[in-house]
Amino acid sequence: MSRLRRLGAALGAAACLAAGAATDAAAQGLLDRLRQAANVARTLLPISTAKEIEIGRGIAATIAGRYPVSTDTALTRYVNLVGLTVASQDPRGDIDYHFAVLETPTVNAFAAPGGYIFVTRGALGLMENEAELAGVLAHEVGHVNRKHVINQIRKSDTMREVRDQLDLQGAVLDRVVGTGANALFTGLSRGDEMEADSLGLEYASAAGYDPGGLAAFVARLNRHAGEGPVSEFFATHPRPDERVDRLNAIAQREHLVGGADLPERFRREVTGGR
Amino acid sequence: MRNAEVVARRIALAALLAAGTAAAAEAQRAEWTDVVYVPGRWAGGKLVSRKTADPLTDSLALVMRVDYFSAPPKWRAEIRRTADGQTMGSPDILIGEGTRAVVVTALGATPLEQHVLGQDPLVRAAVVFDRNGRAPGPAAGRLVERAPDGSVGRVLFRRSVKNPSFADALLDPGARSGGRNLLASGIAAVGDQRQASVVATAGARGVDRVKTPGGDVPVTPDSVAIRRMEAFKVGAVSLEDFMRTGGLGPYAARSDSTGRQP
Repeated sequence: MSRLRRLGAALGAAACLAAGAATDAAAQGLLDRLRQAANVARTLLPISTAKEIEIGRGIAATIAGRYPVSTDTALTRYVNLVGLTVASQDPRGDIDYHFAVLETPTVNAFAAPGGYIFVTRGALGLMENEAELAGVLAHEVGHVNRKHVINQIRKSDTMREVRDQLDLQGAVLDRVVGTGANALFTGLSRGDEMEADSLGLEYASAAGYDPGGLAAFVARLNRHAGEGPVSEFFATHPRPDERVDRLNAIAQREHLVGGADLPERFRREVTGGR
Repeated sequence: MRNAEVVARRIALAALLAAGTAAAAEAQRAEWTDVVYVPGRWAGGKLVSRKTADPLTDSLALVMRVDYFSAPPKWRAEIRRTADGQTMGSPDILIGEGTRAVVVTALGATPLEQHVLGQDPLVRAAVVFDRNGRAPGPAAGRLVERAPDGSVGRVLFRRSVKNPSFADALLDPGARSGGRNLLASGIAAVGDQRQASVVATAGARGVDRVKTPGGDVPVTPDSVAIRRMEAFKVGAVSLEDFMRTGGLGPYAARSDSTGRQP
């Protein structure tokens, strides 16, 4: 009887342990699911256009703090005209686009949320015609259209303390802006870049530009690989040969041919005809 | 001796039941916030509604935030409306028991049905409780409520407070006194009190450090340059002229209206 009682006690203890372990496992699984749900909810947090512009303004100020914005009115006007021509093909009607040139030999272009788009003097120096500039600016418009930086911010740890967009102000907004600026300076995902390429190609072509402009510019960059001014571009964008192949494939598939490239106007406006 | 054992066991059982009941009652207390959006956008202080059946739509306009405090069957809802999608007004405070709700103001408590807020469908939708004082839906996450025609009606982003710590008196405006002045305890909004962790600071931006492929670099944001950028306008006539002279936009030579060559 005594042995039976001991056996029963041992079985009971084992059952308790097993139940406890099962409960722990279930609780852990539930916690994991809750964490996943919280992450998903955070990525779905709506950010209004007004707040997107406010965040973008802060990121743009950071870009302008790193590289000075050109005060060359004629050049700024020209870049705005090309930019607005391609941006007119963007179906987002809630954004006013602003374009500016950054005075740096570094070759790059940036798009902050809310429509603040920059191209560097170094990039302009490597371009040969207006279609190439249009292709680069249209690619940046594509980033704004798809809210790539905003989506990076949504996925970031910075958003853990944000319950709704009303919390996006003051110090919290500053941290969000910092996260967005870091995303821009270190590079967006390969998928985001490819998506911006596709949209840029579409916008530039629909605006009447030669759809090969962006591919021609990227191919030329590839020939300058290893040079200082383009090193940051290579570090923050997918491999140029891969991009060129993909851009050409899209243009072929979508039957995008023809269009203006306007080399004379580009030279006149950017280099004063030199 | 045997009787004493039975009594002791009963006392222990009663204590266990009492403790369980207390724990259950504590577990029922809940505090959460719903941030409420509707399909559309704010334009010049006006809400431009948009009809969509897509539950994942991102074109949403913020319309209100509601802080809930619940100890079933009693509950309290602090509703803050926005008129521009950016700033929230002072809260309207509703206190209820089961399905019954009153609006608490400095002048007294008025049944929701007799108050102007009772005519507001967004307010009515925000205070749906069953007769046990329980609200529908999960404790947290994105909730989509549909209109009778199947379109998206409201989209809620719900977050719960882990350890609710509000006073029971907040759920009963008449508990402290029948006097009008003491209703003040009921109309003092408590929702803001727990916002301390995310309350906005001045946000003055000095030197930032940003990450680059070459390492962190110090940057002093230049807001003046961005204001100049925003103020720079080329004008519709100039843009039109630019497109015309370049054979772009509507002046582009195309073989069909889509801009694509056959």
